[in-house]
Amino acid sequence: MATRIPLPVLTPGASTVPHAPFVRLASLWIQITGTLCNLECIHCINASGPTDPWLKPLSRGAVLRAIDEAADLGVKEIYFTGGEPFLHPELLSLLSASLAAAPTTVLTNGTVMTDRIADALRALAEAARYSLEIRVSLDDPDPALNDKIRGRGAWRRAVRALRLLNERGLLPIVTATEILEGERPSGEGMYQRFRQFLLGLGIEKPRVKIIPVFPVGRLTDPAGPVLDDAAIEGFDLGLLQCAETRAVADGGVYACPILAGLPGARLSDGGLAESFRPVPLYHAGCVTCHRTGMTCKNY
Amino acid sequence: MQELLREYRRIAVFGGVYNNSEALRETLADARGRAVEAVFCLGDLGGFGPHPDRVYPLLRAAGVHVMQGNYDLSLATGREDCGCGYTDPRDNHFARISYEYTFRHTSAPNKAWLGTLPAGFRLRLGAHRLVMAHGSPRLVNEFLWETTTPDGLLAQCLDQTAADVLLCTHTGIKWLRALPDGRHAVNVGVIGRPENDGSTNVWYTVLTAERDDLAVEFVPVHYDHEALAREIERVGLPAEFAETIRTGWWTTCLENLPAKERARGKY
Repeated sequence: MATRIPLPVLTPGASTVPHAPFVRLASLWIQITGTLCNLECIHCINASGPTDPWLKPLSRGAVLRAIDEAADLGVKEIYFTGGEPFLHPELLSLLSASLAAAPTTVLTNGTVMTDRIADALRALAEAARYSLEIRVSLDDPDPALNDKIRGRGAWRRAVRALRLLNERGLLPIVTATEILEGERPSGEGMYQRFRQFLLGLGIEKPRVKIIPVFPVGRLTDPAGPVLDDAAIEGFDLGLLQCAETRAVADGGVYACPILAGLPGARLSDGGLAESFRPVPLYHAGCVTCHRTGMTCKNY
Repeated sequence: MQELLREYRRIAVFGGVYNNSEALRETLADARGRAVEAVFCLGDLGGFGPHPDRVYPLLRAAGVHVMQGNYDLSLATGREDCGCGYTDPRDNHFARISYEYTFRHTSAPNKAWLGTLPAGFRLRLGAHRLVMAHGSPRLVNEFLWETTTPDGLLAQCLDQTAADVLLCTHTGIKWLRALPDGRHAVNVGVIGRPENDGSTNVWYTVLTAERDDLAVEFVPVHYDHEALAREIERVGLPAEFAETIRTGWWTTCLENLPAKERARGKY
């Protein structure tokens, strides 16, 4: 069990921080389990864990309201995240409701996947007109390296989930952070390493999404740099994902899934339409998005 | 967005030529045989194929109304990539080869011409108000796949463009959606490469106004794909491009395929 680290709550600094415009609602993120998770990964963006989540799970009613409002507003995609979404007792029925409105993705650590859940996901996917995507987090093809980040046994169970999903034609997307890149010899790239690993598992259509490590959650650096006018000069802030993304989590609607739950990123008390306003780029995590062009979307 | 004032009754629409002059020639001949009043190309003239400059005289001679796709925008403005926005290094590897080859083999006058093309068309087909875009009316490189484009998004696009029918391309796979309110959206497909179903033919779309109704017909086009595949190999483009033409299965640009569409393909 990892040592629990108190989560610093950052608040916006001076009112002069740059703001990203609101352009459109392309993706809605639903932080369905808050920060409740069976793992305690050392790089978790919201310091999720198994006990006393600082961000509470959402109720069924809150999730359904968000889906309905987003559909009316022309949302293109809906994502379920947490914490670990499969710890929510009503996830499967809420996925069904979401798939009736829009293509839907679940981000999971894969460790609580079972044959029964995988069967249910296949049934949902086959019944839906829109695509259901399952993203499984894995930080390295090597079990020891992966588990150093994600906890003992995480690799074995996540790989089992990949197999269960793949056997059912669900084509999981492996999501990997770059946290272990410093420990790899130069040469073979991260993408190629994961691709070969998945092919070796018998996954014939390997899908890999690589994301940077963010200075948020357990890796928050309160003294980290933030964006200022000089940093963003000449940059189209409408290209940042917070220009077309909103996250619904306990407490309201937030600018993006990376900062969901943080008071400085909260844009409304609950209504999506009310959150369609410029986003203060106050957090050190905003620097990462600006630098990398990161999107939390599937592609 | 270019407004065409004439009211049409029957039109042909295609997207994604991808340097495939062989398929373009057959498509134009087929459309002529179907007595269409006008032919529209929704952009992306370049990519994959061996002879970019062979496409332009065919389009001009046939009087095709051509709009600018993301590939065309990149070529016209000297961008470093095609603008599809891949993050997968494998897709980017092949996309870069395709784009750099097309850039080198597209003449300066043709690149300049691409820069003059409109971003879309608006016109009347009988009683129907049509809006045509490459990706979507809001983004030239937006992928509107059948399984990742919700009804609500299509309704919003139609509301914002005051249209009854949306036509788009960009993804490479055709589809038709009838919205509950009676409006329609059509991805017209592409003629530059087959649509990842193991068949070597390509597709375009014929739309006909019939009183209050709209008839949408997807038309298969067969061409000498083997000759194209051999030519791709002869000029030294990747074997993966020839394989797609020869087998009907996509080998590259797979990242953006949603789960359902990816599951139907070989790779």
